[in-house]
Amino acid sequence: MSLPDDETLMRWSDGELSPDAAARLEAAARADPVLAARMKAMSHSRQALAEAFPIAFDPRDADLARRIAAAGSGAPKPHALASLRARIGELLAPRHAVPWAAFAAAAFVGGLLLGPLANRDGGLTLRPDRTVAGAGLQGVLDQRLASEGADEQGLSVGLTFQDVDGRWCRTFQSERDGWGGLACHADGTWTVTALAALEVSDDEVRRASSETPAAVLAAVDEAIAGTTADAAAEAKARDAGWR
Amino acid sequence: MDEFQTGLVELLPRLRRFAKVLRPADADAQDLVQQTVERALASRSGFRPGTRLDSWTFTLMRRIAIDEGRKAQRWGRVLTSDEEGAARAPDPAQAGEALRADGLAVRDALQALPDDQRHAVALVLIEGLSYAEAAQVLGVPSGTLTSRLVRGRQSLIETLAAQGVTG
Repeated sequence: MSLPDDETLMRWSDGELSPDAAARLEAAARADPVLAARMKAMSHSRQALAEAFPIAFDPRDADLARRIAAAGSGAPKPHALASLRARIGELLAPRHAVPWAAFAAAAFVGGLLLGPLANRDGGLTLRPDRTVAGAGLQGVLDQRLASEGADEQGLSVGLTFQDVDGRWCRTFQSERDGWGGLACHADGTWTVTALAALEVSDDEVRRASSETPAAVLAAVDEAIAGTTADAAAEAKARDAGWR
Repeated sequence: MDEFQTGLVELLPRLRRFAKVLRPADADAQDLVQQTVERALASRSGFRPGTRLDSWTFTLMRRIAIDEGRKAQRWGRVLTSDEEGAARAPDPAQAGEALRADGLAVRDALQALPDDQRHAVALVLIEGLSYAEAAQVLGVPSGTLTSRLVRGRQSLIETLAAQGVTG
């Protein structure tokens, strides 16, 4: 096999080579460390780009979403809102392993209905693997105790418990932006495993802020081993870095 | 909302992300997203159901950016240092010093590429379009897209290696 050029390696890393050609290249790399290193660098550039540009929720998108919803058909009707909310609940139900795109889209449609999901400082920014990328939420999950209530961004934590794999998990919510979720800790990062809009009453006035969305509670039920941590256990786990 | 509207709403975060590649200053990117949404709503009869809405909308956005770029040139508008600073500032949404530094280095490396390479790289590596779809969005033959992509990719790899951003 002649020395593959950069275009071939690029096509390989972007999934644009035929399966046969990709297999030949991978076989050649097993016997050629220089080729393997070039292929690794090519893959890394793809991964680094994707990670440097995570999908982020911008509050201004909620206004644009309303503009889109209003186009042609008038403002969205209450029953349409209800059916979209049902769709969000379905997509976010803990039993369904939803692909990231659907997860992000569902969370985003929630933003359309219930006000901005997030702002850039205190909001919800997740990487494609659902780990928390937003400094605000990360800090709250790392440090905040349930007894301290909401921080200045409106973010608070609720229940803290260990799941069946021994990971610490915490429910969280943004009263200001109207969403709540569940995140579990591993290797220094929090992975969001459930996310839902806070319940709203018929007149769209938010109910008591302490209510954890039903979909999030269902996710807690599914994950929890034993009982939730009391205030002392919560503080102890925090001080130990959630290990 | 119908399927088209829902699809467009779901695309908004990606439209904003691509807009920032085309127009790094935040206010310019916001203008571009707004104009693209308006254009998409006005010309939705041109969208064929069953085809990719993201490619179609990115194409609209690229055309608007080109038109706006020509207008800006006519008015002699230049990027001010403030705007440039804002565009290059670290994204506060990214947690962790190391990650923030790496993310900034990668975003800088992308911004340093010539326009045509940057657009090709963003569509394929960030937005996940195939080579054929990216070529269609940019309105270039697939061979041209591929060579832009190779050159952009080579520069990125060299820049990131020089800055010690490793996988």
